Amino acid sequence: MIHWTPEQQELRAAIGAVAAELGKDHLERDAAGIFDEEGWRRLRDMGLFSLPFDPAHGGLGKDLLTTLYVLEELGYRCPDAGLGFSVSTHMVSTGVALQRFGSKALKEHYLPQVCAGTVIGAHAITEPAGGSDAMSMRTTAVADGDAFVLNGSKSFVSNGPIADVIVVYARTGAPGEVGGITTFLVRSDTPGLSVGRPVAKMGLRTSPLAELFLDDVRIPRDHVVGGVGAGFLVLDHVMKWEILCGFAITAGEMRRRLESCVEYVRTRTAFGATIGANQSIANRIVEMRIDTENAHKWLFDTAEKLQAKADVAADIAMTKLVVSEGNVRSALSAVQIFGGYGYTAEYGVEKQLRDAVGGTIYSGTSEIQRQRLASLMGLDRPVKRA
Amino acid sequence: MTLQREITQHIVSEYLPDTPAEELAADYDLIATGVVTSLQLLRLIGWLGDRYDIPFGDLDIAPDDFRSVAAIAELVSRHRPVAAN
Repeated sequence: MIHWTPEQQELRAAIGAVAAELGKDHLERDAAGIFDEEGWRRLRDMGLFSLPFDPAHGGLGKDLLTTLYVLEELGYRCPDAGLGFSVSTHMVSTGVALQRFGSKALKEHYLPQVCAGTVIGAHAITEPAGGSDAMSMRTTAVADGDAFVLNGSKSFVSNGPIADVIVVYARTGAPGEVGGITTFLVRSDTPGLSVGRPVAKMGLRTSPLAELFLDDVRIPRDHVVGGVGAGFLVLDHVMKWEILCGFAITAGEMRRRLESCVEYVRTRTAFGATIGANQSIANRIVEMRIDTENAHKWLFDTAEKLQAKADVAADIAMTKLVVSEGNVRSALSAVQIFGGYGYTAEYGVEKQLRDAVGGTIYSGTSEIQRQRLASLMGLDRPVKRA
Repeated sequence: MTLQREITQHIVSEYLPDTPAEELAADYDLIATGVVTSLQLLRLIGWLGDRYDIPFGDLDIAPDDFRSVAAIAELVSRHRPVAAN
């Protein structure tokens, strides 16, 4: 069990106090697909975006566990899951990639802006034809003097419509080759780069998503992040952080949902008793608690291992599966427990279910996580021919 | 067993079961030939980290560091704790 220091608890409480004031109109903004700019500014002013980054570049220098501890509280206090998703995407897509792999010059120029939230970050990985098969990406980056020229298109770019800087993954080597991907930091106002209109989606509607088009986009060599051919390793590192940070917010949302369900079943009556007295309802609540606590335990256990520099390739995949699939179960149970009130849009319960489904798709689908685990177990190991 | 030979044995047993260890050249390109793909690279990094106590989380590594047995052996030699050498 982790014992949080008074300083960590104060930090979490401070962010929580601001987060609790956000999202008052989240149902209306969800219906209209509107990003909460004011909420973003308030979280930015609290220093949330700077938590895990080096103080030399404007960060607060907090460790991964502290960052998760605070982000979990954001999810618990703020009902706008889309805002939380945009926050996490901003921090990990650009900040984490730069902190671990950026050159000194890139860090000095961009990390203070990422920490201060004066720029919004995104990353562009998935392509229309490739889906989860990131290694087959078709967007190319061809060396030309002191620059690379990028051509192609990207889909499902979270924060795309509002991003100022985008970390773009493109092919510099042979198709399918693990050393064939390179990472570039691209300003969204670079000539040749265009962002499509916000794409309508099932959930997380307050976090805008778009396609990205690259037409002879010229990026200086010094904007390569992590070296030519190192894109897969950059992506692997960023995905670890994305899963932990993004789903720490989810774990907070699950805790809030559990508490609201417990309160409801203790007060709602039917047939002369509270509905929580019914075993079928009580069992649902218990399952929600197990999913909620599993989510928390996996996230913080894996973060502790990652912070200790241990290999977490399998842990990350299992964490993602446990939290994302537990979240869908929990949200579906909440809809069922609230009945008609859960099914209608007025109370926001059905929105939580729509928001939850995305978690089994982004940051590597459930199917990809299982495939990764199978591979790490050596199940795809070739057999010796007789 | 030498470091290079131990790595060769591991590569052959895990990824090239039909190839006798003595036939796998130290400079054979494991990445271009598709022997080591993205998922397998993660498994290989996990094995190397455990076997040789290498703190991959702190290192600036690239797929080229895993391109051949010779490259992997060079990476391990450079980064494993001195006491284990």
